[in-house]
Amino acid sequence: MTFEQTFDTPTKIVEIQRLRKTFGKFTAVDTLDLTIDKGEIYGLLGPNGSGKTTTIKLLCGLLRPNAGTIKILGQPLPCKSIMNQVGYMPQDTAIYLDNTVHENLFFFGGIYGMTKENLEKNEQNMLEFVNLQDWRGSLVSTLSGGMKHRLSLACALIHEPNLVFLDEPTVGVDPELRATFWGYFESLVKKGITVIITTHYMDEADHCSRVGLLRQGCLIADGRPRDLKKSVGVDSLEGAFLLLAGRKKP
Amino acid sequence: MKLRRTVAFSRRALLQFRHDRRTFAFVLIMPLLMILIFGYTFGGDVKGIAIEVVNNDTGILAGTSPVLPNGLLLTQKVTDNFDIDTFSMHKNTNSSNARQIVHDGKAWAAIIFPENLTENFLTTVMTKDMSHSPKIEIYIDASNPTIAAAVIKEVTQSIQITFKELSISLNISQIEMPIVIEQVYAYGGGSTRFIDYFAPGVISFAIMMVTTMITIILFVNERRNGTLQRLLVSPASESEIVVGYALAFAVIGIIQSIVVLIAAILLFDISIVGNIFLALIVLLLLAFGHQGLGILLSAGAKNELQAIQFIPLILFPSILLAGLFWPIESIPSYLQPLSFVIPLRYGIDAERSIMLRGWAIGEIWVDIIVLVLFALLTLSASILLLKRRN
Repeated sequence: MTFEQTFDTPTKIVEIQRLRKTFGKFTAVDTLDLTIDKGEIYGLLGPNGSGKTTTIKLLCGLLRPNAGTIKILGQPLPCKSIMNQVGYMPQDTAIYLDNTVHENLFFFGGIYGMTKENLEKNEQNMLEFVNLQDWRGSLVSTLSGGMKHRLSLACALIHEPNLVFLDEPTVGVDPELRATFWGYFESLVKKGITVIITTHYMDEADHCSRVGLLRQGCLIADGRPRDLKKSVGVDSLEGAFLLLAGRKKP
Repeated sequence: MKLRRTVAFSRRALLQFRHDRRTFAFVLIMPLLMILIFGYTFGGDVKGIAIEVVNNDTGILAGTSPVLPNGLLLTQKVTDNFDIDTFSMHKNTNSSNARQIVHDGKAWAAIIFPENLTENFLTTVMTKDMSHSPKIEIYIDASNPTIAAAVIKEVTQSIQITFKELSISLNISQIEMPIVIEQVYAYGGGSTRFIDYFAPGVISFAIMMVTTMITIILFVNERRNGTLQRLLVSPASESEIVVGYALAFAVIGIIQSIVVLIAAILLFDISIVGNIFLALIVLLLLAFGHQGLGILLSAGAKNELQAIQFIPLILFPSILLAGLFWPIESIPSYLQPLSFVIPLRYGIDAERSIMLRGWAIGEIWVDIIVLVLFALLTLSASILLLKRRN
């Protein structure tokens, strides 16, 4: 695929200050400060319930914070106008099962205001990118789970966003497809697209340029995977997480 | 069959109810609601029918007739015999005005007692010459055959009772009814069958139910599959989402309405006196409003099963209180005000007025305004609901 970056995007793609989100008495995200630069593949890591999905939803504008500020692509949220530069792939595949692959891609491209010519061009690129060329006219309900995941990613990318949020994109995906997905994400970053990804698979996070370790809504560490491992003298991010989580109890 | 295993299944199912209080409440409350609503509304007598009564007769004054020394005003006798529950009677002095009121749909019938009614009645009775029989005119809106039948029955019975009472005081016997009832039809022409009356209601009801249920299921799926989240992250506004779906359903609604109308005409030969396009517009407005209602209700359902639980909540009030099967006048008076908050009432009323009375927008504007307001209210509330962020 070929992504042509035509936007002048700021260097700081995401700026989060003192972000806090509670649900009743439960604090899902606690005083989070974070900056993510252009072209990074940033991994939000943590066990289930650590606040990864809540953080992504706050960054997408799906949830309103109780405190703190978020700037996306230089604009404070909420801001609908920057959303045409943002791609989002939720945890669920979130595509229309009773429509074809082509219809899904055209629909999601269409709501981002793409012209028919651009849609046709990008559809072809996307189908090649996620290897679904032969399934263009197939009903999504007839596709395998892996194909649905690939289509879901294509729907998040069809409009050539500058920033992509991927919420646990590899959950329930077989190891082969997971490797393929990480190949996709790395190729996006090479084109200058910023990717923010949540995962609880620590082994995957080595693909990220930077990771943030979340535990009970708190960011307990933030840095390059290599540096985090080195800081606690272990070989794996899993080991680093366990050590850091033990040291820094929120 | 092992009893222990069988009981395990029963136990698990009952425990599920314990945790799903909503379904448990549904199981208990719904039959109770059904028996209450059906019990109070089903098959009651028609009551409170608005009628105009015009008396053009002066009667016989006391002391002017040897057979009726106390005098007689036949109109008074007949109207005194009307069942006070059946009619909501308004006295009118002008026959044309009374007919106009019926024509405008503000009353179901005008009962016009002619000049010299009492005198001609007395002459007929005494001479037994039926050529002098006076005629009482019932100018009637027969677009609702149930109400029309109730009016004619009540007037006929009252005249018969009056005649029976007078027969005793006049000491007459073996004479046929000396009063003729002349039915003049404002609408319906007397040939209105129950299916003609029924069809506009059923068409409106079908559109309402299908639209509401499809919208609930569609939006429940949008939420459950995560596609709604994806849409809300896109530049598309909440109003674009709601109006976009409303337009799609409008297309479906038009096709649905055309199919139902054609079937009703071809299979049941129903009469459509008015403008069929206006009938379609009313159905569309009804569909728009119920799409909004469907989106709002979808917020309260996590899956299709929970969505199905909304069916009786919409179904029964609409069937029982909107005048679908039987006239609103047959619902107990204390329940009748509830019908005003049921949008289907206005849809059915407008459809019947168009199809049976041939009314145009000038006559059904109140129904149209209510349906437009209902659509605006529910669709706006749906947009606000989608805008809501926790």
